[in-house]
Amino acid sequence: MSDQVTLSIDGRDVTVPKGTTIFDAARLNGIPIPTLCHQQNQTPVGVCRVCVVDVGARVYAAACIRECEPGMKVKTDAPGVVQARNTLVEMLMADHPSPCARQQQSGDCELETMAKAGGVAEPRFARRLSPRGRDDSSLSIAVDHEACILCDRCIRGCDDVKKNMVIGRSGRGYTAHVGFDLDLPMGSSTCVSCGECMVSCPTGALTNKRVVDANLAGEKLDAEWILQLPVFKGVSGTFLELNQGAVVKRSIAPGEVICREGEFGSTAFYILEGTVEILINTPIAHVQQEDGAGSWFSRIRSKLSDRQQHTRTEESGRRYIPIDAPVDLPYDKPIAELAAGDLFGEMTCMSFHPRSATVRAKTDVVVLEMLRNVLDILQKNKTFRAELDRKYRQRALETHIKSVPVFSSMPADFIAYLRDRVELIRYSPGEVIVRQGDAADAFYLVRLGFVKVSERHPGGDVVLNYLGRGSYFGEMGLLGGGIRTATCTALDHVDVVRIAGGDFNLMLSRFPAIRAGLEQVARDRADMNRRRVASTEHVPITDFLNQGLMEAQSLLLLDLEKCTRCDQCVRACADAHDGVTRLVREGLRFDKYLVATSCRSCRDPLCMVGCPVGSIRRRNSMEIIIEDWCIGCGLCARNCPYGNLNLHPFTVQVPDPAQPARMIATTKKKATGCDLCMEHAEPSCVYACPHDAAHRVEPLTFFAGMLEAKDQKPTSGSTAGTSK
Amino acid sequence: MLIDRTHRPWAMASAAILALAVAAYIPYALGTRPGGGTIPGLAYGTVGFAFMAFVTLLALRKKFPIWRIGRTQTWMRGHLWLGALSLPLILLHAGFLFGHGLTAIMMWLFAVVYASGLFGAWLQHTMPRRLLREVPMETIYEQLAHVREQLLDEADNVVADACGKLEVTIAVPVAASPTGAEALATVMRPVGSDVDDTAPLREFYLKEMRPFVQAPNRPHPLGDPVTASGMFAKVRALVPASLEPAIVDLESICEEERQLRRQGRLHGLLHAWLIVHVPLSFALMVLAVAHIFMALRF
Repeated sequence: MSDQVTLSIDGRDVTVPKGTTIFDAARLNGIPIPTLCHQQNQTPVGVCRVCVVDVGARVYAAACIRECEPGMKVKTDAPGVVQARNTLVEMLMADHPSPCARQQQSGDCELETMAKAGGVAEPRFARRLSPRGRDDSSLSIAVDHEACILCDRCIRGCDDVKKNMVIGRSGRGYTAHVGFDLDLPMGSSTCVSCGECMVSCPTGALTNKRVVDANLAGEKLDAEWILQLPVFKGVSGTFLELNQGAVVKRSIAPGEVICREGEFGSTAFYILEGTVEILINTPIAHVQQEDGAGSWFSRIRSKLSDRQQHTRTEESGRRYIPIDAPVDLPYDKPIAELAAGDLFGEMTCMSFHPRSATVRAKTDVVVLEMLRNVLDILQKNKTFRAELDRKYRQRALETHIKSVPVFSSMPADFIAYLRDRVELIRYSPGEVIVRQGDAADAFYLVRLGFVKVSERHPGGDVVLNYLGRGSYFGEMGLLGGGIRTATCTALDHVDVVRIAGGDFNLMLSRFPAIRAGLEQVARDRADMNRRRVASTEHVPITDFLNQGLMEAQSLLLLDLEKCTRCDQCVRACADAHDGVTRLVREGLRFDKYLVATSCRSCRDPLCMVGCPVGSIRRRNSMEIIIEDWCIGCGLCARNCPYGNLNLHPFTVQVPDPAQPARMIATTKKKATGCDLCMEHAEPSCVYACPHDAAHRVEPLTFFAGMLEAKDQKPTSGSTAGTSK
Repeated sequence: MLIDRTHRPWAMASAAILALAVAAYIPYALGTRPGGGTIPGLAYGTVGFAFMAFVTLLALRKKFPIWRIGRTQTWMRGHLWLGALSLPLILLHAGFLFGHGLTAIMMWLFAVVYASGLFGAWLQHTMPRRLLREVPMETIYEQLAHVREQLLDEADNVVADACGKLEVTIAVPVAASPTGAEALATVMRPVGSDVDDTAPLREFYLKEMRPFVQAPNRPHPLGDPVTASGMFAKVRALVPASLEPAIVDLESICEEERQLRRQGRLHGLLHAWLIVHVPLSFALMVLAVAHIFMALRF
């Protein structure tokens, strides 16, 4: 029996090996057949049916899956075939947002190109009524389900080509869509951001998210060179090519500072060669009001007060300072060293937090500086994660555990026992780590990021605490009845150290002092939680949280019990800013306070994302400023979730189009926002308030005051109240 | 300004100055006839006038809010407490006599300024809390008219959606509108199959509610929440249950309008006293300067 098949395609006799599809036979003989769901490197599935051809049978066949048969007469461009193909494209276009993201970015959306070529204008079919939505949870890939045509190319790219097995189909019929893992948001799934789905996608359903201003200072690197580094083993070259400039190499001389504490940044550093010192430069001391703002009475009082009164009891046992690096700094001498293979600046990069420490080159140093999309892909890379985790277990676990005052007496042999038994787990923003009512089976130490602790109550959840690096949770459930008493959720990108319940109990039985310490902490926390819940019954804290005020670093509050609505604050703001006020005496009310519409200097400044000319930026002193080259596109104002940035018209002189030599006046717009009057010790609005009603506050301190009205203690650190 | 315990240092300092002034006055008054022309009297007058001058400068301070010459609230505290001290010092200066002519005019003027200042301080102490408590939907005062327009649009839409297109242009003029009870009587008629069953709501809106929102300065039965509740209850009884959401919306719009009216009233009260206090204060200062000039010159 012959292994060859001869057939006719559009009148041409062709001979191909047996088992060849009509699509491949046509392609091999230079006859193009349009398709959407089929790619050469993928197994054909024939779901789009755009490649239909007439094989003389009762119905048209999909060329990508129909094998050639001897004597078959195939017509690829018969009028009926073309009409059927155009109808299919028209139906797909009916649900397709045109132009989609890909068409807008590069003009090569395959569906839209095909529709244009086929003369498919406005589809005759009605658009679907229920939106399919977008998924922006991934830092590297934007998912627009609206633009998805369910061709399954991404699924085959992920499962067959890359063997990652993350993408699949979810839902049925009209609600069918591509899903990640068990239909999780892409950012929360096990997706490693290899980019294969993105390059496979024929439309704008999966597109690359470019980071704004990705041109970092430093030596630009080729994707090929980067892939040679062991740390990038397994990372997608496609992704690196698409994000050129998002990772650079920097050579630093000894003594040169790589980053400074308190600065805002958006990058992380990976040390390739050399050693750096990581340290806290600021003197460790409480600040008093001797020379600061405030009434002269308070300044005199500050002069006369005893400095010792500022020593807080909860700091007496603290021996390490948690920082955004794989090591903690000793409290007495806050300096440590990092060497080749260490990563620092993760929190700054992922969550735009200020730099926690100053990093200075000790020897000649070579580092990779990277933006968050590159860091994200590295963190999802199994090789890289394994290496980071190994180093953490070796070098940082001991100081991390000992940095928690209650564990400071734990002997080295037990830490060595724990070293290979603890699990290092990463959670995405919004992911629940433990849920109230579930069985308590582990104890957690926060290694990176912030965890929200909340308790379910009739009428809504009550937030009990926010825990940062160096804090812990899970002990109450283990010490109590074995049931979680609160829900702990990752607020941002969170890394935790999970100690299994068995090991935790072994630790308690071996070290009675640690058991006693933990039990005391659990009792204190339970008391504090009860008080907090009681106080929040009268305080609509949820409203405050829902408004995103936790994200703020500085809020302008007007005490409505004192404010006489004289508008001096608005007038002062206008006077300080060339007649254009940056605040509106209107906004959310919380308790007796009005949160005025004025820039909040958010921790995650969404306004900065997307500025086409990079004119909005954050200064090191935390305020957001808009440079004078703003082009007035209004993107920042649209991005600000709180309406705190505005566009203001102003008059400028421009050349007259009719007579270029002559200048004429025209109106332009520029964005404006509160700059906190940083040239002064106090913002003008606060300074000018005659009634002591206007205050610029740091909201975390403000929350602490509201929630702990009785004792007014700060909530930071591991001794702060929480419950699990 | 809320006078709370943060004012304690100012209050104590003021009390100490007053006690010192009175303590010095007693031997002075026992030894000679007190008056403005004596050395102690001139001293009291000088200090009293200095306080008055400082107090008056607050207005100037507020004109230049960004000048870094001390926080405005410090100036305001000084205004309150030094202003409070100025009258006793001037009385000590004058030997508790009002005098004749210019000095008498000045003293009476001072009394009015002082009383209006005390009244203003009381208003500023109490009224913000009242506004906070009674007007939860408070908006920017200058925007009241605009917000009212929006409310009217919203109400028009609610009624149009419930009852069909409104013929607002032929609405009953406000002046001719009967009182609430009469108006309701006119719309209270049996609902038959040939009658539009949404008509009572439309009639009520056009004859009662719309004028209420449109004319904020005119008293209206809907301005009283209890009466309004009764009026809405009667409308409810006349229309089908399907119009309930519209009625709830209209009730909330009425409540918002009531709050806007209350805000306007309280805001006016909170600032109206300045119309008396500020010009008379300046007049007093002019007369005081004239008084000083004449006293020293002649």
